[in-house]
Amino acid sequence: MSLSHTKDTSFLGGRIPAEIESMPKNLKDVDQELFRKILKAVVSALEGKDSRELMKSIAESSVIPQERLSHIVAGMYRVLSEAIRIPTSSLKQEAFKEDLRELRIPEDFITDFASVVFGSRRTALDAATSQNDPHLPTVEDFKWRVDVAISTSSLARSLQPSVLMQMKLSDGSCQRFEVPLSKFQELRYNVALILKEMNDLEKRNILKIQD
Amino acid sequence: MADVEATKSLSGLLNGIAQKVYYNNSEITEELLKHELYHELSQEEFKALHEKMKALIKSIATADMDPSQLEAFLTAQTKRQGSGGLSAEQAAALSRFWKSQRVRVRESLLSQSRWEPGLRGLSWRVDLHTATSRGDAAHSGPVALMELELGRAGQDSEFVCLEFDEAKVNQVLKKMSDIQESIDRIVHRT
Repeated sequence: MSLSHTKDTSFLGGRIPAEIESMPKNLKDVDQELFRKILKAVVSALEGKDSRELMKSIAESSVIPQERLSHIVAGMYRVLSEAIRIPTSSLKQEAFKEDLRELRIPEDFITDFASVVFGSRRTALDAATSQNDPHLPTVEDFKWRVDVAISTSSLARSLQPSVLMQMKLSDGSCQRFEVPLSKFQELRYNVALILKEMNDLEKRNILKIQD
Repeated sequence: MADVEATKSLSGLLNGIAQKVYYNNSEITEELLKHELYHELSQEEFKALHEKMKALIKSIATADMDPSQLEAFLTAQTKRQGSGGLSAEQAAALSRFWKSQRVRVRESLLSQSRWEPGLRGLSWRVDLHTATSRGDAAHSGPVALMELELGRAGQDSEFVCLEFDEAKVNQVLKKMSDIQESIDRIVHRT
């Protein structure tokens, strides 16, 4: 907030979220074993897995009151999700640790946090979280059939090939449509063009813009 | 002069029938054609002429006659005696009509036996995701967004938007080449 800040702002932003700010207090008599158990459950939740059972067993076996436990879980979830938002090229491990140290989170826990954010699981976490990005439906299944109408009620000899396509989409809907030959050529040409465009993009590496 | 007028009227009638029967133009009615083209004919005479031409066009269209078939057919019709027969001028008008309308009529007849929505058009776009609410997405590759325009004959289009990553586009392209192969097998044999 103040311009006189000597250090860059924390990865958590100018104002520390309440659930994170209260974490050191809530974590006071939590041992590392319990912390790791909770961390495991939080990470699997971030990966989009159902971690309700895991949470329940932690809550039942731990001596920490439920209310405090839920604050801890919320805080840990927030720390990890905020850290994962930022690419590793922008948030360095040391800066991350430093930010957590400033919040007076015990050093052992900081190491565990860092191992999630900067460890080998990061790729899987990124992939899992990107599943939740807004996107259009994708094609899950694509079937086709080539028909030749020999004779119809309006045309004695039609002999016209056409393609019947059926697409099952990720939103559960199903699209079935006929593609006349001329349109099929157009479709095929455009799909090839899209692929070329995508390949060119990757070659040009315009993704590699760094700040 | 009268012949030119008669030929003009007949061409008008043939095209009017095509509009009404094959191109779904509901503005063209039998009364309109009579009023505009055959004012001097009695209702009955016009009806007979209209029915005859309609039947002839139907025969030609259903068989999708090529030029030599059409010539043989029209010759046979002109040789018929009585009111069912065709004059040489009428045969010539039918021949001209068919030459210009064959492709369009055939297309219209083909679409009459098409029940699934057809692909009318497509547009696409290739995007790069740079950032999202959940985080930085620069590690993911380019994304293709495709919009398919689908519609049944005579109905408004429906648009289907889809998203593809590169692997998916590749898969679809592979399917396209399978389809092409399958089409080529049929088309080359006939």
